[in-house]
Amino acid sequence: MRAPAQILDALSDPTRRRILELIRGRARSVSEVVRMLPVSQPAVSQHLRVLREAGLVRAEKKGRSRIYHLRAQGLEPLGRYVASFWEGALDAYRASFDDPHDREEEGP
Amino acid sequence: MIEPVVKEVTVPADPEAAFARFTEGLDLWWPRGTHSVSEAECASVGMEGREGGAIFEVDRSGTRHVWGTIREWIPPRVVSFTWHPGRAPDTRQTVLVTFEAAEEGTRVRLEHRGWEALGDEARATRDEYDTGWTGVLADYTRSLMAGV
Repeated sequence: MRAPAQILDALSDPTRRRILELIRGRARSVSEVVRMLPVSQPAVSQHLRVLREAGLVRAEKKGRSRIYHLRAQGLEPLGRYVASFWEGALDAYRASFDDPHDREEEGP
Repeated sequence: MIEPVVKEVTVPADPEAAFARFTEGLDLWWPRGTHSVSEAECASVGMEGREGGAIFEVDRSGTRHVWGTIREWIPPRVVSFTWHPGRAPDTRQTVLVTFEAAEEGTRVRLEHRGWEALGDEARATRDEYDTGWTGVLADYTRSLMAGV
């Protein structure tokens, strides 16, 4: 299980997000991705390595090439992290609702 | 209102590939020698794949001419952008391109509207584009058939 920070780092690059979007619908080889984006083969391979280390893609050997699949479950730690803020927001909302003096418009 | 130009083609590629070719792959198929500001002097064209990204050409002297700006970027379904090649930004029209999976590949629908911004030139420009987009989309389709 990866840390949310590692997943965020992997997703912070726009080309890596594009690669994930391209393999979301179906698995693709490196050369297929290279044909789709204006990025060189070594760069795509490097991005795929980062995505693999972050647990977001997995490679499948097929003959002499590798086919990359999206690992949607790899996004789970990040999803939980983001959700934790949402829970916090709900708690804060509930607290302000319970405390009638804690209203912004009343001021200090 | 001047009616939009609407064109539809079906291309032999899945929506992701069709979308990527239309956008980031613009330079691979756009007829830049004829459909650009600098024409024969046009060195490359491109589209920056993000909301707010530019669609542009670069001429041989290295000057960049902006054709428009991306407004919606929803790969692999929708890209829309403003459009004013060779004209001031306040004459901008809007182009919306959608990609829908079809049995034989992807159905690509292009809608070009907002001609009123062109004032007196609106009608004539619309008619030019009505022919122009047909040829441009034929080049796009061909580039996906070649499988390059």
